[in-house]
Amino acid sequence: MQINTPVLEISHLMKRFGDNVVLSDISFTIGEGDVTCIIGASGSGKSTLLRCINFLEEPTAGNILFHGKDAETEWKRAEYHAKVGMVFQSFNLFNNLSVLDNCNSGQIRVLKRDKKASTEKSLMYLDKVGMAPYQNARPAQLSGGQKQRVAIARALAMDPEVLLFDEPTSALDPEMVGEVLAVMRDLAIGGLTMLIVTHEMSFAREVCSRVIFMDQGLIAEDGKPEEIFTQPKQARTREFLSRVLAR
Amino acid sequence: MNLPTSFFGWVGLLLDKYGSLFLQGTEMTLLISLTGTVIGFLIGLLVAILRTVPTSRRTVMPVKVLKKLLNLILSIYIEVFRGTPMIVQAMVIYYGAMMAGIIGRGTSVPMVAIFIVSINTGAYMAEIIRGGIISVDKGQKEAAHAIGMTHWQSMVNVVLPQAVRNIMPSIGNEFVVNIKDSSVLNVIAVSELFFMSKSAAGTYARYFEAFAITAVIYLILTFTVTRILRMVERKMDGSSSYTILGSQTDSKSAITLPKVKGRT
Repeated sequence: MQINTPVLEISHLMKRFGDNVVLSDISFTIGEGDVTCIIGASGSGKSTLLRCINFLEEPTAGNILFHGKDAETEWKRAEYHAKVGMVFQSFNLFNNLSVLDNCNSGQIRVLKRDKKASTEKSLMYLDKVGMAPYQNARPAQLSGGQKQRVAIARALAMDPEVLLFDEPTSALDPEMVGEVLAVMRDLAIGGLTMLIVTHEMSFAREVCSRVIFMDQGLIAEDGKPEEIFTQPKQARTREFLSRVLAR
Repeated sequence: MNLPTSFFGWVGLLLDKYGSLFLQGTEMTLLISLTGTVIGFLIGLLVAILRTVPTSRRTVMPVKVLKKLLNLILSIYIEVFRGTPMIVQAMVIYYGAMMAGIIGRGTSVPMVAIFIVSINTGAYMAEIIRGGIISVDKGQKEAAHAIGMTHWQSMVNVVLPQAVRNIMPSIGNEFVVNIKDSSVLNVIAVSELFFMSKSAAGTYARYFEAFAITAVIYLILTFTVTRILRMVERKMDGSSSYTILGSQTDSKSAITLPKVKGRT
């Protein structure tokens, strides 16, 4: 397997909520341009892993290196967040701001871009996800799929190096899943480094360059999608896949 | 001089002779309650922001201790000012400050009154705003952090605007309460509406007529304020429609969705 320049290195990451160990010991490296999908049953720790990488949850132990420097201590938090973006299951668009202002807010407040440059960038990405015509709408006026596309544009407007997707299509009506996946497919082709927690197996299979299967807070299997989906080595991977693919 | 014999006669006489007293009192009541509510609101915002500052495992010990101490002080402030009547607070603060030499004969009493109402309202507002912050979906704050905003930035730009919208009815309540309850400040002889009404009533000992006028004035004030706040709320909600614009960056891509499997 071709190894790209490492961007994110996660080593011995552990997360405990009280006595409940959600992530036991997670280590893996993401290279530039990798599109990695994380699959696994509910409660296997997929989302928690993503939230730990973005420090929305504080890891109990372990390190995250971004470009070889510790993300928690050596990177300024705001800078790290700007470079490692996140797209949420529940979109989390800022309800008090218009579509355009949602995309501008981070650029203006965090990256200190001026309004004109921000707007230009926002519109470029809103255009890319097909939402530029809705720039004046408020989040409450959009459908789920539209909201998620705006959320992706908002994340992209920060010029991230890595984008984390936490089940981006799980809260969508089936008919809207396609439009969001199409945008993500475009980004993958464009060479963006992506780490995607998803239940969309066909998407994982077609678009991802690597699939990580998580089970009970551990990485159970890690490999190319064709390997994982056609000849999984672990019994629990087989069991999981037969359950979700049988639907 | 012929004294009136009817209710309306007396009302007319009182308004004629002491109209300016009622007017001055109304102005003072409005000044105290409006300024007090605004400053109290700002105090509440500050307290709420400070009390929600997060700590992490990397937070150093002195900062953690300082934060604990600050939280304790703020809790005491809230408990004390919510747990005692404003009329008592007024007496304690006014005469306490007088004894301590902080204020003297020259100090303007309205300033003291505004201070009391502000600090009292701040305690209530802190709790109201805390409730407002809780009412905003946690994901909003997470999304703000995820694009690199600090606690302060996410509060100011994302969470508080939504929290404040949600608590507008409670803020209106506080304002109305302040209009009415600033009347207790007559105990420190500030020339607000209640105090002035007493003066107006005193000369002829026509308390019923004078305070009937006062009641109507209070009612007009509170009713007007409630209406104005409702208007502000509607304004905050923004327009319920929006216009779809053609793309401004690339005319070809106007109102087209990205290619999706199964759609041509």
